[in-house]
Amino acid sequence: MSIKRSVYDFLTRLSVKLKGGGDKAIEKQKKKGKNTARERVEDLLLDEDTFLEIDLFVEHSVKDFGMDRKDLVGDGVITGYGKVHNRPVAVFAQDFTVAGGSLGRAHSKKIVKVMDVAAKAGIPLIGINDSGGARIQEGVESLCGYGEIFYRNTKLSGVVPQFSVILGPCAGGAVYSPALTDFVFVVDRISHMFITGPQVIKTVLGEDITQEELGGAMTQASITGNAQFYAKSETEAFNTLKKLLSFLPANSKELPPVSKPIPPDHPLGDDVIPDNRRQAYCVKEIIRGIVDASDFLEVHEYYARNMVVGFARLAGQPIGIIANQPRILAGVLDINASDKAARFIRFCDCFNIPLLTLVDTPGYLPGADQEHAGVIRHGAKILYAYSEATVPKMTVIMRKAYGGAYIAMCSKHLGATFVASWPCGEIAVMGPEGAANIIFRREIAAAEEPEAYRQEKIREYEEKFANPYVAAKKGYVDTIIRSSETRNTLIKVLSMAKQSRTGHPHGNIPL
Amino acid sequence: MEKELDKLIIDGTEYVTEVPECSIKPYEGVSDPSEIRAFIPGTIVEIKVSEGDMIEPGVVLLLLDAMKMHNEICSRESGLIGKIHVSSGDSVQKNQLLVNIIINK
Repeated sequence: MSIKRSVYDFLTRLSVKLKGGGDKAIEKQKKKGKNTARERVEDLLLDEDTFLEIDLFVEHSVKDFGMDRKDLVGDGVITGYGKVHNRPVAVFAQDFTVAGGSLGRAHSKKIVKVMDVAAKAGIPLIGINDSGGARIQEGVESLCGYGEIFYRNTKLSGVVPQFSVILGPCAGGAVYSPALTDFVFVVDRISHMFITGPQVIKTVLGEDITQEELGGAMTQASITGNAQFYAKSETEAFNTLKKLLSFLPANSKELPPVSKPIPPDHPLGDDVIPDNRRQAYCVKEIIRGIVDASDFLEVHEYYARNMVVGFARLAGQPIGIIANQPRILAGVLDINASDKAARFIRFCDCFNIPLLTLVDTPGYLPGADQEHAGVIRHGAKILYAYSEATVPKMTVIMRKAYGGAYIAMCSKHLGATFVASWPCGEIAVMGPEGAANIIFRREIAAAEEPEAYRQEKIREYEEKFANPYVAAKKGYVDTIIRSSETRNTLIKVLSMAKQSRTGHPHGNIPL
Repeated sequence: MEKELDKLIIDGTEYVTEVPECSIKPYEGVSDPSEIRAFIPGTIVEIKVSEGDMIEPGVVLLLLDAMKMHNEICSRESGLIGKIHVSSGDSVQKNQLLVNIIINK
């Protein structure tokens, strides 16, 4: 074959391969409001012309069930590497137009290869999931494929950041690769995740439930907490992912990228929270008053809303924020809030991102439901995560810090680098009402006017303990600052503290 | 769109805050041990006891075919078999009453 001929032959083969499952299948994909795998990788995710595809010419070698007559382009997945905001990433995107993106041996081998590239190069791994599941014709070979991917997801955990963008069905065993990664993105009406689908549930349990209710995007973002980010469109999901990447180092050995400091749009004054400790407010407003450009990327926005977590910058330095949200459930700690915070803390500790904890919590959520669902075991995860973390840990007590929840929210006792309290901080075993009721129970019962006596004792307790000075006297609070001084104080702490992790490396186990 | 605020009491203090529906569940108590119910829909394969039989905890009362398994349905308490509400071959719904137990006090 002449060189000219061979080049012509190559280009012909290439043009067929680049079409994936062909025009008809692409049209079907588009009709569902979905982009093709190639569009997602080249147009929505990566910087222009940076994608270097590998294994486009890989083919399966299955002979059973008529598979030998089937030509599956790229075996249903696109893999390679490219750049996001000029920083390298490894990527795979399942191609639903080829055999429904089903996972066979060759398909999984391609994913495994690109995961190994991410491990060797120390670059983030982004997976785009759009697959009908295991390729049944391949039997145990397809299960082997999933297993090898899970194994690598786990080995890569805490080494490079891993992301999953669910842009189609993701059912059965397939859900566990995303669940092992650090962040899962879902898109309204496009993403569906479940272990057993609506039909199986109907046959086995006789229960009717739609795909959307069972495992749609909002279900995953708000009820199950399986997804950290919810978007209205594929474009929005990728834009959020790119923003998230901008806070993160490429791997656990690097420091997060520092950008130019920008002051907040509305800096905090000295009257940012209500006088009345029973009054709610939105802690996100406080966060925006502290961080650079008032820019806060919230993680798990719709799940366990009594705890707010997310990324922001302080003088250009990325930080992870964990904050009680008095607006929801008075900012109590409960099972879901504990799991949410603990996993976020451990992620930040994996990737050298300093922590800022904002405290205003009355304690743990009471209830038989919480106790029986294991609030002790789940609550322990926050204690573990904070104690284990060796990145700088800064804590600001804004108002209530009561009881076990005070200890749990990155107190000095769990190794906080720096603890500040605002003058209205209340560090106590419980709220004044509850404390007075217990300490003076007999006296209140015996008093001539029990309610008046009770109120007097509440005031007494308030004056004595509902302040930050008792804790400051003992050195459990390093300093007391006005809320307007918060940003500048935290910036000073950050410039002093050693940023990288000094403890033993750990993964980011799903919690 | 701000949601209307509810009240939540912690340690005697009443907080004005949003209480999402799913976060507070009333305690429903443990199920009544004198009523043996189907924990899953399925088919009764075999009934191993008769009305009036004395039973001990853990004795298999009947087999329920569901999830590709013959599930053994037992009593938690000792006592007498009261009414048996199903026959072998019956299809049952989740939570359907199968057997009454007259529990030994």
